[in-house]
Amino acid sequence: MTDSKYFTTTKKGEIFELKAELNSDKKEKKKEAVKKVIASMTVGKDVSALFPDVVNCMQTDNLELKKLVYLYLMNYAKSQPDMAIMAVNTFVKDCEDPNPLIRALAVRTMGCIRVDKITEYLCEPLRKCLKDEDPYVRKTAAVCVAKLHDINAQLVEDQGFLDTLKDLISDSNPMVVANAVAALSEIAESHPSSNLLDLNPQSINKLLTALNECTEWGQIFILDCLANYMPKDDREAQSICERVTPRLSHANSAVVLSAVKVLMKFMEMLSKDLDYYGTLLKKLAPPLVTLLSAEPELQYVALRNINLIVQKRPEILKHEMKVFFVKYNDPIYVKLEKLDIMIRLASQANIAQVLAELKEYATEVDVDFVRKAVRAIGRCAIKVEQSAERCVSTLLDLIQTKVNYVVQEAIVVIKDIFRKYPNKYESVIATLCENLDSLDEPEARAAMIWIVGEYAERIDNADELLESFLEGFHDESTQVQLQLLTAIVKLFLKKPTETQELVQQVLSLATQDSDNPDLRDRGYIYWRLLSTDPVAAKEVVLAEKPLISEETDLIEPTLLDELICYIGTLASVYHKPPSAFVEGSRGVVHKSLPPRTGSSESAESPEAAPSAGQAAEQPAVIPAQGDLLGDLLNLDLGPPVSGPPLAASSVQMGAVDLLGGGLDSLMGGSGFTAPGPAAPAAMGAPLGSGLGDLFDLTGGVGTLSGSYVAPKTVWLPAMKAKGLEISGTFSRQVGSISMDLVLTNKALQVMSDFAIQFNRNSFGLAPAAPLQVHAPLAPNQSVEISLPLNTVGSVMKMDPLNNLQVAVKNNIDVFYFSTLYPLHILFVEDGKMERQMFLATWKDIPNENEAQFQIKDCSLNADAVSSKLQGSNIFTIAKRNVEGQDMLYQSLKLTNGIWVLAELRIQPSNPSFTLSLKCRAPEVSQYVYQAYDAILKN
Amino acid sequence: MISQLFILSSKGDRLVYRNFRGDGGDDVTDAFYRAVTSLPGDRAPVFMAREGRHFVHVRHGGLYVGVTTTADTSPFVLVEFLNRLVTLLREHCGTLSEKSVSVNVALVHELLGEMVDFGYIQTTATEVLRSATHGEPETTKAFSLLDLRSVGLFGAETQQSKVAPGSITNRPVLPPRGEQPARSELFVDVVERLTVVIAANGTPLKVDVQGEIRLKSFVPGGCELRMGLTEELSVGTEEQRGYGRLPLAAVAFHSSVDLEEFEQERVLRVTPGPGEVTLMRYQLAEDVPVPLPFRLLPSVEWDPAGRLRIHLKLRCDLPPKQGDPTLCPPSPPSSHAINVVLQLPLPREASSLAQELSSPEQTAELQGGGRCLRWAIPRCQGGAQLGAVFRVQLPPTPPLGLGPAALTFELPALTVSGLRLRCLRLSAPPGAPPAPPQRWVRHLTHSDSYVVRL
Repeated sequence: MTDSKYFTTTKKGEIFELKAELNSDKKEKKKEAVKKVIASMTVGKDVSALFPDVVNCMQTDNLELKKLVYLYLMNYAKSQPDMAIMAVNTFVKDCEDPNPLIRALAVRTMGCIRVDKITEYLCEPLRKCLKDEDPYVRKTAAVCVAKLHDINAQLVEDQGFLDTLKDLISDSNPMVVANAVAALSEIAESHPSSNLLDLNPQSINKLLTALNECTEWGQIFILDCLANYMPKDDREAQSICERVTPRLSHANSAVVLSAVKVLMKFMEMLSKDLDYYGTLLKKLAPPLVTLLSAEPELQYVALRNINLIVQKRPEILKHEMKVFFVKYNDPIYVKLEKLDIMIRLASQANIAQVLAELKEYATEVDVDFVRKAVRAIGRCAIKVEQSAERCVSTLLDLIQTKVNYVVQEAIVVIKDIFRKYPNKYESVIATLCENLDSLDEPEARAAMIWIVGEYAERIDNADELLESFLEGFHDESTQVQLQLLTAIVKLFLKKPTETQELVQQVLSLATQDSDNPDLRDRGYIYWRLLSTDPVAAKEVVLAEKPLISEETDLIEPTLLDELICYIGTLASVYHKPPSAFVEGSRGVVHKSLPPRTGSSESAESPEAAPSAGQAAEQPAVIPAQGDLLGDLLNLDLGPPVSGPPLAASSVQMGAVDLLGGGLDSLMGGSGFTAPGPAAPAAMGAPLGSGLGDLFDLTGGVGTLSGSYVAPKTVWLPAMKAKGLEISGTFSRQVGSISMDLVLTNKALQVMSDFAIQFNRNSFGLAPAAPLQVHAPLAPNQSVEISLPLNTVGSVMKMDPLNNLQVAVKNNIDVFYFSTLYPLHILFVEDGKMERQMFLATWKDIPNENEAQFQIKDCSLNADAVSSKLQGSNIFTIAKRNVEGQDMLYQSLKLTNGIWVLAELRIQPSNPSFTLSLKCRAPEVSQYVYQAYDAILKN
Repeated sequence: MISQLFILSSKGDRLVYRNFRGDGGDDVTDAFYRAVTSLPGDRAPVFMAREGRHFVHVRHGGLYVGVTTTADTSPFVLVEFLNRLVTLLREHCGTLSEKSVSVNVALVHELLGEMVDFGYIQTTATEVLRSATHGEPETTKAFSLLDLRSVGLFGAETQQSKVAPGSITNRPVLPPRGEQPARSELFVDVVERLTVVIAANGTPLKVDVQGEIRLKSFVPGGCELRMGLTEELSVGTEEQRGYGRLPLAAVAFHSSVDLEEFEQERVLRVTPGPGEVTLMRYQLAEDVPVPLPFRLLPSVEWDPAGRLRIHLKLRCDLPPKQGDPTLCPPSPPSSHAINVVLQLPLPREASSLAQELSSPEQTAELQGGGRCLRWAIPRCQGGAQLGAVFRVQLPPTPPLGLGPAALTFELPALTVSGLRLRCLRLSAPPGAPPAPPQRWVRHLTHSDSYVVRL
């Protein structure tokens, strides 16, 4: 039985032979025959012809044989559904077997057979097995519910299996709990709005207890489920963290990482003043470091996750720089990832150490790694100003080696250093020019040309240098051609007398001999600029450039927050949210970090907010790549460059800056300030703030007063409420929602003891404070009350979506009424999306999610519209004019994190606007439209 | 969640295939093999998104063991699981090879059925699986020469080790049902990995020692094992750990280890079932001086014509005599390093190499198209100093520095941290076979990354 006799090729007689063996009386022979069948099936041979014979072997008391037959059934039942029915009776019988292993096996197998007729028979046995006395059977049955749900979701709901499954969360056996959690999590994913995993402090407590007892794999299910829970306050978050922390020392790295995810998420809610916060930070470092001693594959995954973690919380690993030093025998993908993290952790304190390492790396053998190391030196220079000089001299040393690819990389990064520290290191230009001939990569050539053009007045033979590039103009890549065109125009503007011929030559090359529309367009624009108004040309082409930002390679903060929620999933390896790479029917639920409830949040600790601080000091720092506005106004953006963003960003964006910087200063002078809550968003996108502030200017003070408030209407007439009349409206002011009520006593007796309660609703609106009516309400008296609301209540989808059912109690009775709230009270202040995000998201949302509406009879112009909308937290991201129509691109975010993107088309002569809304949850679109309509018409 | 699981031979033939969630076609293995073979060189990323699926795989014994998965699954879960699966397959089939898997395909399927249900991982514990499976393993004869890789320590990925009878670990841990195990044996390995960076002036920049204690048991379950570690051990951060001679920065234990006596006596108690477990992983505190095994004293002469004369002196600083009879088992009388290889990257492609080596068993050659000098020393006694002179012809441009030199080696019967097993006692359960199990304790250090800058 040793040789591979299962694997002989299918000859004609073989099936026949197997058939005979399967029908043999001898058990051993039968078993061997089934094994052969399974072996053939595994290697992909078609043995479906043996179906009846194999099924005949099913009724056996030999468990091994039974398993093999079941395996065969799972494989072929789908292609032979009619035959599969033959097996049903045995299945049902096995589900009643006294041996729990057989009961579990039967229910497990039935769930895997995706044939409707079998599924029908599954319900009864499954119901029994879910309540089986043996935990092994229960845990198998729990998974089976998920299987059944995958085949027929309606059936599972109708049969009430979901409730049984929920009960299993409180099971005494931790493995059953873990499987129930896993099954429920999966089912809940396909019903984002349902309340399946209704986690509350009690059930969380049960999960945490089970966490200590179940297998490592079960712990992962439970931890992943915990990560989706939103603790009600910081105290609860802390107590969960305390109970999860011991998992950090588990030997299974998957458990460790799932625990890290939970902690990272809940830490968000803890106040940084707490001692516990510091303790927790300290506890996170060792397990992360330990992950790096795993196999290279795991190291890579760990590093990708650590990369996210250090961007979010650099303080965790700031003392652990050494563990990220590259080992010579690390695989290249580990090396590159480590380099990236080294840069992120680089600071003034450790920069000397880092630079020494990087210099070593730059002499290694592996070309890719050396290139990245050279780039890293440049990034250090940009990130840590104090180190810039040493970085530049290190780079010069490297250029002296004359190793071709080292020189080219060094030139690319030096160009970036020039952009960060203008007029500081230009003395090295001479050295760079010596290496002109050895540059053969487009990126390096483009960088060198940029340097020559930018500093043409300091390079005596700049015209000769550029001319030498011009000879092979048509063989150059587009990137180089564009750069060359711009550089020569710059040169001409600086030294007009000697270079007239050169500029004419390049303009004609670009406009007449080129097929590339970008190049041609840019050529024409320069040409016309130069011919109509040279002074304007100078202002445009030689405009002062914004400094490049050190953080160009950081992940955008909102994306980062989302990715933190996906630590330990594939998303963290790709550094993309699942929506960017998951295809398929399942709706993707966007996850977000919980808001911090502790105090002192407005004053972020200094190390956590370097980017915001940086941006505030230097309003001209530009984001990395082209954006909507950039596309429209920037003449100089090349085709998408596949290299790292640093290089792409460094093409000049003078025109953009003209708009951004100019308006910024205008705004500063006039003493206007953006409304408080909107300011952080504007800081994140300094370029945008210019535009945003423009609207503030035109919008006037009106924007400061908060969002639009509808007039009060009567919600509860006195007739229906024994004399109590309630009228009210909703408002949102500086981030807080309130319900403004007028209670009128139209009865003849005094009213007192008022209380209010909301039913569960779509957005979790709930009173944030009790209803306080200070004195009893005398007959014919009215009282105005503003009831603060929050959105942390329980959620249930209502129809219509914005329906709110309210109960009001007083000393007389309890009264119920329902009202519709305008959706714009849920538009949050940080609903301004980054332009790039906007573009990407707009493309990303499928077209069937787009909804179009008409807003009739509105006579406002585009600017007035956008200022009005901004007052209600609908933010205009860009505006463009297409064929006389104004197009406004807007974003808003709901309190539950749903983003809505809008395109508003305004024709000057037509009082009807067209509103297109795109949202991942398209059911909100209609209500957003109603909000637009209400805001614009009032 | 795991959608599909497969084991492919090195040629892409499907050995085992399971579709746990009934989605997707059966052609994934082909898609996977296409993807994995189209990757350049050895740079196979662990995760590949191809043709609409996410693949995760590991390679062992020439086989591809892989899964396809949905996006919201933890990659750690998958890689950990695959590694466990490989260990389990080894335990059940003896070795992991194309042959052993294909002969035991029914057993493998049975195991998978218990391990994964609808893509949810259920268990990977040997004992649990043992009680739920019924198939018997078919053993394959280890084929002699080709299988050298699996000789030696089961834990460490080392080329070879002559310290213990290696080949006997290559059999299924589970004896056939109803039979007495052929021999009840127990292996404990203390394996340390050394990561060192030495600056050009000879000062160590980074010394990192990671170790683990692994246990492979062929003893039927039920007996308690007491394992005494070096008493000077102390654990924790600088403030916590006091003055122990052997401070560990971080320690992780397997969940089955009973630590009741650890604080006081440094004794680990564990009741192992048959199978392989990592009992303890530790990391030596970084601020502790560790005697480094090797020191490299280079001198380089350079002439403008491109001739490079490299004189290397390699000193093995292991103690020449290291006998401590109080240890159990007593440590060997002298220490030495084996399989020492020094690799020195050259600044340019070298066209020729001439060498003077101190003994004939050493070899030197150029590698990587002349970009790297390789000096191999099969064995090096503690306290010895080896010298070598190399003359290399390079293109005549100034060299961009030399090195750094990387050393790989193994130190048999030695742990650099000094952590050793003091004792290993088995208390047999009542009614156990009279013959006490054979116990093997092995200590080993190997270089993970030992870099000397020049």
